Amino acid sequence: MPKRVLLFFLLCICTDSIFAQDLAGIEIHGFVTQGFLFSSHNNLLTMQTSSGSLGWTDGAINFSDSLTDKLRVGIQLRMYQLGQLGGPNAEVDWASGDYRLNDYFGIRAGKVKTVIGLFNDSQDIDALFLWTLLPQGVYPVDNEGYFLSHVGGEVYGYLPLGDRGGKLRYDGFAGESYLPLHGGYIKQIADAGLAFTTAPAGKTYGGDLRWVTRLTGLTFGASADIQAMDGTAPQGSVHLVPFLSAFYYAQFTKGKFYFAGEYNPAPARAFLTIGQAVIPIPVGARTWYAMGSYRVSKTFQFGSYYSYLADTGLDPNLAANYSKDWVISGRYDFNSYFYTKLEGHFLHGTALSYYASTNPNGLKDNSNLLAAKIGFSF
Amino acid sequence: MSPNRWLIVLLVFVACGTVANAQDVIFVANRGVQISGIKVSDLRAIFMGEKTRFADGSHAVPVILKGGPAHEVFVKNYFDESPNDFREQWRKEVFTGQGSMPKSFDSESALIEYVSATPGTIGYVSRIGPEANVKSLTLLK
Repeated sequence: MPKRVLLFFLLCICTDSIFAQDLAGIEIHGFVTQGFLFSSHNNLLTMQTSSGSLGWTDGAINFSDSLTDKLRVGIQLRMYQLGQLGGPNAEVDWASGDYRLNDYFGIRAGKVKTVIGLFNDSQDIDALFLWTLLPQGVYPVDNEGYFLSHVGGEVYGYLPLGDRGGKLRYDGFAGESYLPLHGGYIKQIADAGLAFTTAPAGKTYGGDLRWVTRLTGLTFGASADIQAMDGTAPQGSVHLVPFLSAFYYAQFTKGKFYFAGEYNPAPARAFLTIGQAVIPIPVGARTWYAMGSYRVSKTFQFGSYYSYLADTGLDPNLAANYSKDWVISGRYDFNSYFYTKLEGHFLHGTALSYYASTNPNGLKDNSNLLAAKIGFSF
Repeated sequence: MSPNRWLIVLLVFVACGTVANAQDVIFVANRGVQISGIKVSDLRAIFMGEKTRFADGSHAVPVILKGGPAHEVFVKNYFDESPNDFREQWRKEVFTGQGSMPKSFDSESALIEYVSATPGTIGYVSRIGPEANVKSLTLLK
């Protein structure tokens, strides 16, 4: 851990000499972030956050090249460590060839980011957001891997709706997604007695349609994603029947103001098989958030959001079945490359972000969390 | 109101108009670009990576300034947002594998020089001298 922190600060010191590189047409971009979490009661995200934890490091580098006016290729390698999740090895975040026939139709194939909801495809890119943690009900940082990308392809394009109608942006995708072996779901399943050595996987297909209205900055959208998953471990198996996950969202940007909201009802049912026992696990959750922010100056921005999640079909009065989170956040940009964030969370309920292994004495219903990040992006 | 006062009011309006124009940017393109005017909606789409073609079907390559007053005016007037927000939208394209960042320049003279030498490019500057070997585009409603 100290080595990673040292590397991070060395990169930050070198900001004068590091910037987006363009070597004979090959563009190189990257980012690195270091987080700090301190909670009042429970330990979150597999870290000892109640004592303060620096166990959150993230970084990526990408290379891309436009081979012709219509064809572009690229690859992004990413490494992240979130407490006991992730690891020191860089993995392929995305690697794709992108053929854009015209403005109405393009096709991207390889390992591609999955475009669903407002932020699914960009949720792992800290530099883009004011927030240190995105609304965890929709974008759980410990379980981002399964939905983040898929191996397959997508078609995309823009359809003009006339001078008064704005335009439509569409994405349609199909492929296979994998449950990362070092992610949160696998750890939770391992805690239940199934230790996977090969990543469970399943077919996924769906699409996103967003209406960029004539009113500058106002966008409405909806996404649908159908996923299935199967995996076998020495002790048993897990089977997720294909389920539809829908996202409905809107965002509005006007000058220094930004507002967004998203609703995601995701009823799903998984079956855990251990020996002869088949155990149904309700993993469906209804979740939504609303957020707003204001840019005070070129360098400083602050905002707030409220995120809500409730497991459907379970006792809503039990803290284990819901998560409500009030958040206030601030971000300061030192320059175009280097920034820092500070964020306060007021958490109610324990349905998200908690693991038995780091909370052996059980969980308190409520907890507060201070999250800070420092990041560098070029 | 006397004719003199009307004249003063008229002069104030004219002066305001001149100031407003002075607070906008001039769009320049490579001389090989066949169009002479461009719709604001097309302009926005090109600089957000949503469109890759001019109205005549030829390939459009946006180039931008890294910062400075002209860049701030451009982002404010055509996107109603801050340079930071504009940059983050492009970073999203880059880090999700959905696009490539436009080439950016430290100075307007460097941008003009690049546009003059690179087919299909379109950029913006605060002013343009007679010696610049680029085409100035008019904005269409």
